[in-house]
Amino acid sequence: MQLRKLIDSPCGLRFMIDNLCTHSGYSRKLLLESSMMHDRLSIEKSYEVMRKFYHVVDNEDNKNKIQTLQFKLCKLKDINHTLSRLATSVILDDIELFEVKNLALLSADVKLILEELNLNEIIVITSLEDVVKILDPDGLRIATFYIYDSYSERLASLRKKLKSKDFYQETIYNEVAALEDEIRNELSKRLKPYSDSMIVAMNALADVDLNLAKSLQMKEMGLCFPTLSSEDKSSYKGIFHPEVKNILEKENKEYQKVDIDFGLKPLIIMGANMGGKTIVLKTLALCQYLLQFGFGVPADSAEMMIYDEVFCLTTDDQSINKGLSSFAAEMKNIDAVIKSSDCVLALIDEPARTTNPTEGTALVSALVKMLQDRAMSLIIVTHYNIKTYNNKCLRVKGLIDGKMNYELVETHEGEVPHEALNIAESLGIDSRWIELAKKEMEEGR
Amino acid sequence: MGLEKNTGKTECFNYVMQRLPLAEKRVAVSSIGIDGETTDQVTRTAKPEIFLREGVYFGTSEKHYLTKRLSAELLEITNENTSLGNIVIGKSLTPGKILLSGPSSTNGLRRWMDDMKKYNIDLTIIDGALSRMSLASPAVSESMILATGAAYSANINTLVQKTAFVVQMINLELTSQENRHLFNDVTIGVWAVDEDDSLHDLKVASSLSVNINTDGIKKCRTLYVSGALTDGFVNHVRQNKIFNETEIVVRDFTKIFLTPMTYNTFVNGRRKITVLQKSKLIAVCVNPTSPNGIVLDSEKLCNTLSEAIKLPVYDLKRN
Repeated sequence: MQLRKLIDSPCGLRFMIDNLCTHSGYSRKLLLESSMMHDRLSIEKSYEVMRKFYHVVDNEDNKNKIQTLQFKLCKLKDINHTLSRLATSVILDDIELFEVKNLALLSADVKLILEELNLNEIIVITSLEDVVKILDPDGLRIATFYIYDSYSERLASLRKKLKSKDFYQETIYNEVAALEDEIRNELSKRLKPYSDSMIVAMNALADVDLNLAKSLQMKEMGLCFPTLSSEDKSSYKGIFHPEVKNILEKENKEYQKVDIDFGLKPLIIMGANMGGKTIVLKTLALCQYLLQFGFGVPADSAEMMIYDEVFCLTTDDQSINKGLSSFAAEMKNIDAVIKSSDCVLALIDEPARTTNPTEGTALVSALVKMLQDRAMSLIIVTHYNIKTYNNKCLRVKGLIDGKMNYELVETHEGEVPHEALNIAESLGIDSRWIELAKKEMEEGR
Repeated sequence: MGLEKNTGKTECFNYVMQRLPLAEKRVAVSSIGIDGETTDQVTRTAKPEIFLREGVYFGTSEKHYLTKRLSAELLEITNENTSLGNIVIGKSLTPGKILLSGPSSTNGLRRWMDDMKKYNIDLTIIDGALSRMSLASPAVSESMILATGAAYSANINTLVQKTAFVVQMINLELTSQENRHLFNDVTIGVWAVDEDDSLHDLKVASSLSVNINTDGIKKCRTLYVSGALTDGFVNHVRQNKIFNETEIVVRDFTKIFLTPMTYNTFVNGRRKITVLQKSKLIAVCVNPTSPNGIVLDSEKLCNTLSEAIKLPVYDLKRN
């Protein structure tokens, strides 16, 4: 699955991508077109590269060099079109030759900086010195281009003639133009063998840009390098949702990080409203995507499993209402989880919430029973008093002295907290309504 | 800047370019929209091409860069987009001809000019385009040459009157230092200053609407209009007694959309219209021929116009 298709997932992936400070549009394009990694080796390899970059970025002494590198990377342009034309023996025009020359000079510049930062063996930039030689016959190493006089003596002398008069000399210019065309043809032929290595170099430059941006984001947001767990277990310490944290910090509020562990058995989260349960689900989905696209993970530490697919079914998923009733849409989404292959992470927020509690409870209990033996990680948030079949249950600590504690603690079947009325009260809702509800509760007992 | 198509902008542009001391000054040229075509896209009349001498910096679209008739060094491909590709910056190495198609918006042009600063340009010349008067705004350019001619009006008297009015607007008096300081950063709304120097927001959405809230103002001294100044608004203001001795301030002359009649009725000894920014009008050029075949008496036109606007008027083809 391409990142482009996942970016608007309700878990908040877009915030992370939008806040990634890439310096070239081409790197961003490559990132969006990249596919989710599923094998251990490629994920480990990508973090290995990023660790080296992070190490460099984390060192204050490298600040100036990093800035120079970023400045250089701004010049990286997508010239795939030009290069594919070159490969098919088309004669390049001045603008295309200019682009090629710029790429060649840029890769030489970046290569040099990477050497200074000891990163040259981490990402190897193909040398394009031969290309530079072809397009910079005078050895000026300036990123501008024209059909230089030194390509042809005849051209030089004709230009001299043109310059001698202060008006337009049609016949001489026509000869110059013909000569320039010949030279362009010659140059294109000489450049053709390098078209592949130029694409490789361009992608390597984008790779440098992305690794740099990801490392800087890690530093800025306080993300961690995840480790891949060797057993079927995921374990997070101090997990947080960067977007929500950012919003809270703007309001001078503190974000309470939480710890959570799960494996291939269903995990049920119960607890008070406003207890941050949905955010936990979203954060878990986000972390999983970030891992499998090689980003830093928003936690103090994270030991993670790899999945084939992530399902994040939250209550604010916009796609839920596309022409279907909310119940029908939700049932279909959950059905997709049931029909999926194993090795998925399924995060389901309040399943069957829109129907009556009796049937809803039955549906959710049955879901847990049916999926508990499958090799998938199922995490369900619910307010229903469901049967848990001895699966692990967590609850949010909830209101303590009028203050919400978002910590997740272990609990047992049948201990669904009844805090809705207290919380509603603390929100300043009309007290007559709450009092009446309390009476109803007492009569019901 | 031309008052109409075919008033001789390009001719004037070439005339100026031909005479610049390129050895001493670095010159950059561009245009707003397409310019320098060999034949006019609309009327199919012969048009002069832009001629560049050696060593001129220019901005044009990728498409027109490739059809240039001169040798040039490609310095940069900018991120400024046009329908003909990105704007590229080049420097002519031999004399020759080129089509100029610069950024297509005033903001784009400003960005381009800022971008050109790194080449230490002394003078930038922009070939204005039809109905792109806003470009001549002092926000972009320091001074301007106005091109007018038979294409604008076929009757010498009307042509002189219409041109003279534009010149009058360009030459509107600068407002006081104090007002400039007060209004320079105000970009929305209509504001009034009363006798006691207190500022009132008149809560006008645009000067196209004439509902102005004058509560609490006994007598208005200065009225600042941030957007366009229209006939309807000015006539409304004129009829309200509290504005009897008011100075209307606008950002620059390109914001004024008034007919000569409205302007003349409004401005009397006590009322006036002034500007925050003023551009310098260097000269006026005339093209006595129009695309539909009318040829005016060049000498008479130059003399009458020159008398009316008290500025030198040139017919470049004749001289």
